[in-house]
Amino acid sequence: MRGMKFSFLCKKKPQPTGKRIAIVGAGPAGLTAAGYLVCRGHDVDIYDKMPEPGGLMLFVIPEFRIPVERVRLGAKELEEEFEVTYYPRTKVMEGERLDEGDEFYERVIRLRELKENYDAVLIATGIWNVRRIGIPGDDLEGIISPLELLFWIKGNKLGYVPDEKVPELKGRKVGIIGAGLTAVDVAFECNRLGADVEIFYRRTIREAPAGAYEINLLRRRGVKWFELVTPKSVIGENGRVKAIELLRTRLGEPDETGRRRPIPIPGSEFQVPADYLVFAIGMVSTPPVNGSYLTVDRRGRLVVDSRHMTSVEGIFAAGDVANGPTKVGRAIKDGLYTAVAIDKWLRGEL
Amino acid sequence: MERKYLYVDYLTCIGCETCQTVCDFIHDGNPYIRIYVTENKQYLPINCKHCDDAPCIRVCPTQAIYRDEDGAVRIAEDRCIGCLACLQVCPYGAPFYSLKVKAVTKCDMCAERREEGMEPACALMCPAEAIQYGPLEIVMDLVRERRAKNIPEHQRELTEEELRKSISSGFRVF
Ligand SMILES: Cc1cc2nc3c(=O)[nH]c(=O)nc-3n(C[C@H](O)[C@H](O)[C@H](O)COP(=O)(O)OP(=O)(O)OC[C@H]3O[C@@H](n4cnc5c(N)ncnc54)[C@H](O)[C@@H]3O)c2cc1C
Ligand code: SF4
Ligand code: SF4
Repeated sequence: MRGMKFSFLCKKKPQPTGKRIAIVGAGPAGLTAAGYLVCRGHDVDIYDKMPEPGGLMLFVIPEFRIPVERVRLGAKELEEEFEVTYYPRTKVMEGERLDEGDEFYERVIRLRELKENYDAVLIATGIWNVRRIGIPGDDLEGIISPLELLFWIKGNKLGYVPDEKVPELKGRKVGIIGAGLTAVDVAFECNRLGADVEIFYRRTIREAPAGAYEINLLRRRGVKWFELVTPKSVIGENGRVKAIELLRTRLGEPDETGRRRPIPIPGSEFQVPADYLVFAIGMVSTPPVNGSYLTVDRRGRLVVDSRHMTSVEGIFAAGDVANGPTKVGRAIKDGLYTAVAIDKWLRGEL
Repeated sequence: MERKYLYVDYLTCIGCETCQTVCDFIHDGNPYIRIYVTENKQYLPINCKHCDDAPCIRVCPTQAIYRDEDGAVRIAEDRCIGCLACLQVCPYGAPFYSLKVKAVTKCDMCAERREEGMEPACALMCPAEAIQYGPLEIVMDLVRERRAKNIPEHQRELTEEELRKSISSGFRVF
């Protein structure tokens, strides 16, 4: 197998420009931007809080979708052929905040420090926080964050997470709430580990963001699908999850996304037993700032102008941290065009 | 030169749009590979398949379509009269008439890049390794190797009855 060729635009490192760029976040956006920038002769250092580069592609998305080696070899090529330097296990932050995956970092660097030491900074830190549902009982033991569960499982295979961290799922009942890419990947991994998996969704399979094709593949593997229900509370026993209480829903008028709005039916409560619950109902952007240093919007995304630049001159942003949850290809697209802007800005053309 | 193949494996594709993105980037916003989404949300990137027995080559009245030394099916833009006969016969609907170029355009297996000794951009960047490029035997080997990863570790065939029972709905009970 060969690696993704992030430097697909050139054959070898050109004449150096002497400009130094720091990239924060080694996901598809950061790595693709690095590939473009080294092809334009700049010197690139990449900071990431995880033990190795790759972002969600490496630590979260299941192996059968994106092979680990494909990402690993790609990141390595940037290092070996284009002298990119990686600073793994390094969280970049201005202010403080707890994010998913924080157990892996060993050092913290301030964003202001990077700004002072480099000619330009690119932020590509993605969406590393999970949206909380905010219903009674949602903090009981047995409720697992989807991101955490996925990188425990994959991190264990990669040798970063000890066996005892991965919950024993064989024969256990796992309920997953949501029907996006995250929900189906959690369902896939739990099913693979022998759990009895059921997905609960408030609309129907037709509206599911992950699509009927993916969901039916999961059903063929034994995952159950329960539509038109929404969680009301989590029922516990001795501090542990015992069941989920659901309300039935019906579909009303279309909302701003064009999908019909689910309306809970009062008095329709019922319970389904569960050993573990995973609420995969959305993820939130995690810029390396908490406070006023950079401007973020209502949804926590970094605000950028038409030059892909944040509110601080010389600090750019690309990928999910600026756009919210998208896809690998969209993050790559944003990484490419942001890198074009950085290159032009460094040459005084923007 | 040895004939090269460019193969997109739909059972491996995850629909991430990277191929369309990089093709768009190197062709000034006109991607020659486009993702079509089916009703049940299966993602199908469609581009020219550079068929061995290409119907477009046979049907083009001005012989504007030819095969280059790597085996790519190419269009000589100056000879194309825009009659769209090629589109009529292409099972994939790949030929795309560009008003700007005033000729049919389509995937040329990254002709410019190949001239500079580089490979097709989509194949280099697809994170899922769903796009393979190279001589036939190598492509076939790589596809087999990659497909093996898709085989579930311990899949059990469900019965039709089990499959029917695997769906519940809040609606049905009411
Ligand atoms: C479960 C799941 C399944 C998905 N499946 C698919 C799929 O099948 N197809 C598809 O196209 N897309 C899929 N996606 C979406 C896709 O993974 C993302 O859109 C894409 O990875 C975003 O790329 P990015 O570079 O912006 O961020 P990321 O890939 O998230 O990378 C961000 C990087 O920044 C690092 N980082 C974060 N904060 C800091 C900090 N403060 N300091 C230092 N480093 C930091 C992280 O460690 C990470 O390496 C999926 C997402 C999830 C969660
Ligand atoms: S880059 Fe690969 S996985 Fe992504 S859409 Fe294209 S063929 Fe599919
Ligand atoms: S081979 Fe090149 S031109 Fe053809 S689809 Fe891929 S990137 Fe586009």
